[in-house]
Amino acid sequence: MAEISLNNVSKSFGSVNVINDVSLTVDAGELLVFLGPSGSGKSTLLRMIAGLETIDSGTLTIGGVESQNLAPGQRNVAMVFQNYALYPHMTVRDNMAFGLKNIKLPASEIDKRVADAARILEMESLLDRRPSQLSGGQRQRVAIGRAIVKEPAAFLFDEPLSNLDAALRVRTRVEISELHQRIKSTMIYVTHDQTEAMTLGDRIVVLNDCKIEQIGTPMDVYTYPASRFVAGFIGSPAMNFLKVEMSGSGDSMVATLGDGSRVSLTITVPGSGQYELGIRPEAVRVTDGKGDTSGTAKVVEHLGDRTLVYVALKDGTQITAQDTGRSTLVAGDQVNLTFDTSQLHLFDESGKAYHSH
Amino acid sequence: MTPQTAKRINIAGLAITLFTLFCAIIWAFPIYWGIISSLKPEDEVIRPYIELWPDTLTFQHYWFALTETQIGKWYINSIATAVGVTILTVSTSMFVGYAISQLRFPLRQPLYWLILASFMVPTQTLIINHFVLIANMGLLNTWAGIILPQLIHPVAIIVYKQFFDQVPRDFREAAVMDNAGEFRVLFKVYMPMNWGVTTALSIVTFIWSWNAFLWPFLAVTKTEMMTITVGITQVNDAFGVYYARQLSAAVLAGFPVALAYLLFQRRVTQAITLSAGIKG
Repeated sequence: MAEISLNNVSKSFGSVNVINDVSLTVDAGELLVFLGPSGSGKSTLLRMIAGLETIDSGTLTIGGVESQNLAPGQRNVAMVFQNYALYPHMTVRDNMAFGLKNIKLPASEIDKRVADAARILEMESLLDRRPSQLSGGQRQRVAIGRAIVKEPAAFLFDEPLSNLDAALRVRTRVEISELHQRIKSTMIYVTHDQTEAMTLGDRIVVLNDCKIEQIGTPMDVYTYPASRFVAGFIGSPAMNFLKVEMSGSGDSMVATLGDGSRVSLTITVPGSGQYELGIRPEAVRVTDGKGDTSGTAKVVEHLGDRTLVYVALKDGTQITAQDTGRSTLVAGDQVNLTFDTSQLHLFDESGKAYHSH
Repeated sequence: MTPQTAKRINIAGLAITLFTLFCAIIWAFPIYWGIISSLKPEDEVIRPYIELWPDTLTFQHYWFALTETQIGKWYINSIATAVGVTILTVSTSMFVGYAISQLRFPLRQPLYWLILASFMVPTQTLIINHFVLIANMGLLNTWAGIILPQLIHPVAIIVYKQFFDQVPRDFREAAVMDNAGEFRVLFKVYMPMNWGVTTALSIVTFIWSWNAFLWPFLAVTKTEMMTITVGITQVNDAFGVYYARQLSAAVLAGFPVALAYLLFQRRVTQAITLSAGIKG
């Protein structure tokens, strides 16, 4: 278990900047998730910590040891690859033992560690099989086992669930979470799947365009997104964004929507003018009363526990609203919508967020 | 498929089969002719018409080649030099291919271009240089002298490079994370993934080297240091050419290669496919 910290770390491939002056600290024993779209630099950042990519400038310390110039094997971290990268010609046992043989551990110690890891991951019966004789889920477990036997200061996971089917992904996700609780090691987990990030992470680092957008607990990131990008990236279905004109001042600000509806807000913004109003579908409710605005239901999706209603406001703006699971709405119905004003966000032109208070 | 089209395909198939059979006969006839002639008495061989089966079957030429010549030594020389060439070529090609494919070092690309360019130089054009060099080094009439100039095999390097290029990079990275040095990555991870490439290259290199004639013919003047391919030219004497005797020696020379080919047929085909893509 070790603390990992990156200080002003940058990386370029030729003239392309892929990591731009990033600083962050992963607490000892924490499971930190790097979340971002393709090309956001999340995998590169992980590979820089692993030593598979060089660090152009800045420092990396792992467990208090400055490590940016150390070889990957000397950093005392273990990595689980997206494609498992199990050596196809070796048995599961040999795959797990390979790293330990390389550092010339005594055979008895290697056997003990492999047996322990196999027990933790419940794969004692698989030890003499080859990777080709295993299912995707089992291979992933072996890849994790290969990391565990090294007893590393930190585990690095590079999109480890991408190649699994939906059901297995959920199960393996839970297993990784349990594993983290059991061995309490520092883990960094890279994913582009926000559900994985929300469910696994003690904290999430949202990356976009080579830099960190926000670091926070899953609920922080969800409830108080730091930018329009984070607000739009986290949450499914995605947050609604409506162009609004702000007027008033102090605590009595009013947002005028495109269709002329006016909504009183408890958000303080520096000045009046054009903003984007952000509101998650679960904060837009279908109501029998007058509501904040109204429109026509275009598509109604019954999900069982709730119903998603895609509504076109009078000016044509699309908004996703939520109704109860037993909603009787059908496409074409007129609906009145009410906003939960405690869950509203405003974004200025630069994407900076202001939240309800 | 209608019966008419099925019939048409059958006729086409039959025609192709017959044509292939015809080609196979043309290809195999010299081998058959060689073996049959080696079993005829010398006077029968030089008769001016074609006889597909000997009137008198004799093994006297084989007996002569085995007892009256130094064929045992020639076999040993051929085995030693061909094995030497094979081991050295395959191992050096493996290292060079790995370095060019996996390591990053200055002048890596120019080095690869140089190896590619060496394709354009026929070995025959270098043979005088080789002869002078080997003579100056005092290696004429030695195994080393026969082996050294035969070690230039860019094809083997390129086959290895392509093989290493195709191995997903994750394996290398996983091994590096597992504290493996370059030798361990090469011998414990990359090579065991596909021994087929090495086996195939070894067999083909062995056959190339076994069949080599021009260089061993120049590099060796002493009868006892000759390889089998050169040795079979020595079965004549001052009284003329003995065709049957020469052919019997040739059959004996080709026998180990034919045996190797029969044993490792699949691997040889694989190697030829591997290198054919490169030779173009």
